[in-house]
Amino acid sequence: MGKPAPANLKPLRRIKRLLSFVWEDSKTVETNLLRRPIPLTAIALLAIVVHAPFLFMELPLTTSYDANLHVFFASHYAHHWFNPWNEKWFAGFSQTTYPPLGHQWIAVFSLLVGLRMAYMLVQLAAIVLLAIGVYRFARLWVDERAASYAAAFSVFLGMVSFLVYSAGQLSTTLSAPIYLLALPYFYHWSRSADGRALLKGVVLVLAAASVHHVTLIFGSFLFALPVIWLACMDRKPETSVLSVLFRAAIFAVLAGIGVGAVLFPYWVEIIRHPIEQIPIPHASRSNLLLNMNYLINYFIVPYGALILAMPVVIWLGAGSRRLRPLMLGFWVALLLGLGGTTPVPKWLFGRAFEILTFERFTLSAALLALPIVGLIAASLIDRFGGKAAGALALASVLSMALAMGWLTWSPFHTLSGLNVNSVVEFLNRGGHDHYRYLTLGFGNALPKVSTYAHANSVDGEYNSARLLPEMTHYGSAQLTSSKFFGTAGMESLRAMLKHANNYGLKYIFVHDPYYEPMIAFAGWRQIESYDSGSITVWSKEDVPPARPIQSDAMPTPLEGLLWGTLPMGSSILAIVLAILLPDRHKARGRFVPFPVRTTEPEFAREVR
Amino acid sequence: MKYVLSISIGAVTFLLICIAWLQSGGLARERMRSSRTPDEATRLLLTQVQARNWDKALSSLANTNDVDKASFVHDLGGSNGSLLTYATLEKFDVWPLHANEQQATVRAKLHYSTAVGPLDDVRDFQVQRAGDTWKVSWPAGKLEKPAPQVIPVNYLRWDVINRGAEDDWGVQNVDSPQVRIVSMNALQRPDRVVILGEIVNEDTIPAYINVGATLLRADGNAMAQENSFDKISHILLPKQVSPYRIDFPGVQLKDIKSVRMDAKSMLVPASADPVIAVNRQRLETDPLGKKVLRGELLNQSGQIVNIPHVLASYYDGSGKVIWVSDGYVDQELQPQIPVSFAVDLPDDIAPKVQNYHVTVNHFSSSHTS
Repeated sequence: MGKPAPANLKPLRRIKRLLSFVWEDSKTVETNLLRRPIPLTAIALLAIVVHAPFLFMELPLTTSYDANLHVFFASHYAHHWFNPWNEKWFAGFSQTTYPPLGHQWIAVFSLLVGLRMAYMLVQLAAIVLLAIGVYRFARLWVDERAASYAAAFSVFLGMVSFLVYSAGQLSTTLSAPIYLLALPYFYHWSRSADGRALLKGVVLVLAAASVHHVTLIFGSFLFALPVIWLACMDRKPETSVLSVLFRAAIFAVLAGIGVGAVLFPYWVEIIRHPIEQIPIPHASRSNLLLNMNYLINYFIVPYGALILAMPVVIWLGAGSRRLRPLMLGFWVALLLGLGGTTPVPKWLFGRAFEILTFERFTLSAALLALPIVGLIAASLIDRFGGKAAGALALASVLSMALAMGWLTWSPFHTLSGLNVNSVVEFLNRGGHDHYRYLTLGFGNALPKVSTYAHANSVDGEYNSARLLPEMTHYGSAQLTSSKFFGTAGMESLRAMLKHANNYGLKYIFVHDPYYEPMIAFAGWRQIESYDSGSITVWSKEDVPPARPIQSDAMPTPLEGLLWGTLPMGSSILAIVLAILLPDRHKARGRFVPFPVRTTEPEFAREVR
Repeated sequence: MKYVLSISIGAVTFLLICIAWLQSGGLARERMRSSRTPDEATRLLLTQVQARNWDKALSSLANTNDVDKASFVHDLGGSNGSLLTYATLEKFDVWPLHANEQQATVRAKLHYSTAVGPLDDVRDFQVQRAGDTWKVSWPAGKLEKPAPQVIPVNYLRWDVINRGAEDDWGVQNVDSPQVRIVSMNALQRPDRVVILGEIVNEDTIPAYINVGATLLRADGNAMAQENSFDKISHILLPKQVSPYRIDFPGVQLKDIKSVRMDAKSMLVPASADPVIAVNRQRLETDPLGKKVLRGELLNQSGQIVNIPHVLASYYDGSGKVIWVSDGYVDQELQPQIPVSFAVDLPDDIAPKVQNYHVTVNHFSSSHTS
């Protein structure tokens, strides 16, 4: 303990001291390495070591569904920070339909390292924050050691790899940890009226909502209710349940007002144009038991080895009064994450069932289970020592390996790795950007084209922003993937092609010969081909140049100003508060210790 | 509490999964697999066709050994780039026509999603009892193949030269071909207004054409604008005539003051190949009681036509175009092998029809016209 630190560790310790507002390291003195909590610094480094190589290989941009979409949104902010009206998709749409914070941070970093690497940096920060968030959330429920195991497991969680490398859901993976970081403040404020906790908690909630409002809305119920329950149980003897609930309500009201203000342009947009589209089918809503691929994709891969722990999570959670709220939260999230495999989501959400996608609840379920899983791990290691530690490490690595392997084995492949340089080059030369274009068979390579091409498209990848009747009346998503939506998709495409002259839609890029008959019969002619014919360019000559399509969805300059300042401001404020206002509960050690069962009487230890 | 709560959670979860399984048709699936009725046997076959699991579909037939797999797949899944190869069986309805102890006839309405839009087909299946189960009996037959022969190629072809590689298609700096709308007729249909007629290429060079229409209100403002989309032959050879039809859904004829027609034309390379003959044309009533124009297409050229598109114009006693209908043929046109077609005709228009004319567009994976 008293030995001077080796010289090469000094810089690391200095960094650790500087960042101590984010994490707290073990203060426990335990000689057996396996019985000591894993230092949070080590867990953060582990997250970097495991995920940084994949991210610096830019894997999400070639394997995931949505990474290119986020880069596209970010690229708009990089060029037009205060103007959320983006003409590149849907003949014009408002980016106030999607919370901007994640995209704005990418835009900021892109000034230094370019858009692609900026995305990777923000995603890496999200993964590291997730480990820290899990640790801090788990500390509410379990002791330091179990919490550290939970945080370490979060690095290897199949669902995290699934969301980062397969789904590309940057917003969910960034919003969830910020929300997890806010929850302990919510707990401390509700339990002991700590004013600093209220301030920091509310600001973190605003930042989380600025990244992804949907994660926050559902997280409010799945995470906050168990935490309120816990705060009631842990309240001081002189405090009543009602006062805890009252303080929780104050937090909720302040957070609600703050979210309303920070995302004001979003609410304006959603009130002006409520989502009235015909529902679009999504596999996460289906009964997973009737399709093996869906079962693997939405249950086995995301949970991985966690599936083995589920019965024990229920068992332990049911047996402990303190863990019961957490276990029940996990159970509800599990049921919701199963989509159409149980009728619960339909009962709870009604018509909204057809709009929501349910993989997000799987992340919630996994995060809610982790503290108890940490406890199980601690118990196994106590009992079986190194063998258990080895088995747990192997199970963690295999969980992540399964999720990474599924990128290759899965029958659902993305096209985000498609080389679209020739398409971008075509659109950026010879005045071709005077017309709108459409891609067919490009899947999620469309945002890549849109990010770098000057021309505008009538299509787009973000369904909630669509207002063109040719797209909203048919129950299909992107035109570029029309065939996967059957008759609805092809009818939507047909409607758009019929109105090509109205939209100035002259050029069509085809990466799937399936679409050639329709566009050929409609009067388009092939004019060029690229990559040995894998991409063909089609043109229709009687199409006039594109003109701006008038829309009442265009945000006002004031909305643009708010959108460009408040969300980013909330995140900067959260960082400033974290630096300037140290947590009182940490200084005073006010975590309620998790009750540990002792196996030996105390006097026996002294005799030894 | 520990036991009660954890067992309750397990039991409730299991119960919820069972309810959802029943709701999402799990039980019906199991029953269909047992093929206890002619309907279930037909559904089982069509489910396998839907999944394009040809081996399983073939093995589920009563006469598996008599059926040629290539012919079976061609019939249900298409071949040679035909429309069926671009189609997915999206859904189907099955109902019995008649049945006895050993045999039954089941009618199925098949709804395909295809590359050119929805396609409906009605088929009758013969189903036989085999022990406790029923199986579909498929008509035995071999895929018809053209006999080896030499077909002379002597069709006309127009090329356009002096186009630089940097020029876009259609940028030729030459006069547009002379085309003329020879007839136009506006009709009120129950849910739409339809503008239809014919256009002719009066020039000596081939033309790419497109016809658009703008409906004008009484105040002269535009009310709606549409174009002929695929209900026209976009490439017209010299002196060739094409019907066109433009639909305006949700519009009433009484609200329209006038119609502004817009025929665009430009010079394009074209050829008269392939030559497709239309034979044995006749007006009939189909098994569902609808009026249809039937006939046969014969590809007189040497290359396969992947997707034929039939455009039919109907005339009344005064020679006026009173309707234009179209339909895609789900089979490819092999050289010299006739393929039948049928296009719908509204019941109220059928009695007025005195004459009709059929033209054929086509899509071949190498070129179109």
